[in-house]
Amino acid sequence: MRRLAVSAFLGVAFLAMAASPAFAAGDAVFKDKNCSSCHYTTGPAQEKSIADQLAKKGPELWYAGSKFKKTWLLAWLQDPKPIRPMKYNSITAKNGGDHPKLSAVDAAGVTDFLMGLTSADVEAGLITPKYKPKAKLIFNKKMPCLGCHKSPDKKGNVSGGLSGPSLVGASKRLNPDWIYAYLSKTTTFKPYRDMPDFASYLSESKMKLLAAYVANFK
Amino acid sequence: MLRISLMAAALFGLNMFAGAAAQATEVKQVFDFYCAQCHGTDGKGGGVNVTKDIATTPRDFTNKVDMAKRTDDDIRTVIKGGGPSISKSALMPPWGKTISDADVELLVTYIRAFAK
Ligand code: HEC
Ligand code: HEC
Repeated sequence: MRRLAVSAFLGVAFLAMAASPAFAAGDAVFKDKNCSSCHYTTGPAQEKSIADQLAKKGPELWYAGSKFKKTWLLAWLQDPKPIRPMKYNSITAKNGGDHPKLSAVDAAGVTDFLMGLTSADVEAGLITPKYKPKAKLIFNKKMPCLGCHKSPDKKGNVSGGLSGPSLVGASKRLNPDWIYAYLSKTTTFKPYRDMPDFASYLSESKMKLLAAYVANFK
Repeated sequence: MLRISLMAAALFGLNMFAGAAAQATEVKQVFDFYCAQCHGTDGKGGGVNVTKDIATTPRDFTNKVDMAKRTDDDIRTVIKGGGPSISKSALMPPWGKTISDADVELLVTYIRAFAK
């Protein structure tokens, strides 16, 4: 069943990517290097319970092409520095910084493959990265974002909690429009996540302000 | 504890026993997944997010005196609406759209049990 779904997906992907043999080559490397033992790459989200989320060994990558910036991804796959302060799905163990590394050639292929995995739920062109004092106030004081995420201030001093991914360097790593989609359409990307759904606590305009603010983090 | 459960199972039928046990496991999982990152799995308020960067430390659920000052309704309200809903720190997030009402009720009981 799963294999069927995978081949059906690949069929569609191949049609869409017909002009890109790099996508297929990257997909092969992804399987060869066992990346699929920890990451799933077929959407929509498959988690049906907290237990499903906790059983995962790494983040889902089925919308990687909508989430990441290509230059960041290419570099990170060759030199994967920790993103989450804690080990994945743990609130007690530190991130061991032991993510598998790829050679430049393999990383280029995998980057093409992953950047081809996009989500129709991410609308392009909505968010422009921007520092606004009002957004900072929401992030640090009015809402609990700082409690779970590390972020830099204007001078580059980093502060914040440890359970969420570090948002330091989000301007290089994340697509601003994905950040907005992630905040406003919670269950599309993470049906079970230990970050609250803020959709009904923040107006659309404040949500956009916050997304633009996170997208500006150096 | 096990003996009591077994007796209960014998008395009330295995189905009910399995149901209650499943619910107990579930609420611990809910607490550990959403709440423990700040409150700690032991409820003492020393979760991983509680660092020097955090202006307000979470309440210690094992503190009987402090907990006696809170009604069940306060606890329910603050879980759903966040700290500001009972004039407390905004570092306590609003979980009303994330955690179901049924699970919030189970959490109220689970949190109360820390101070017993
Ligand atoms: C043993 C499990 C495991 C394997 C095998 C693995 N990863 Fe990962 N991967 C993880 C974990 C855990 C993280 C989170 C790392 C962090 O936050 O620092 C991660 C993060 C990532 C990310 C960033 C995702 C995000 O949302 O931050 C990408 C991209 C990625 N992996 C690609 C790959 C590729 C390509 C391979 C194969 C070469 C691979 N992974 C193999 C566990 C794994
Ligand atoms: C209670 C802790 C908590 C709070 C409060 C919280 N987050 Fe998160 N956040 C998380 C966790 C945990 C994740 C990762 C979820 C996952 O990948 O399974 C996350 C993920 C994210 C991501 C995606 C990062 C990535 O690389 O995948 C962004 C962006 C984000 N949060 C922004 C915010 C903003 C903005 C706020 C405030 C409105 C906020 N968060 C409040 C815990 C929290």
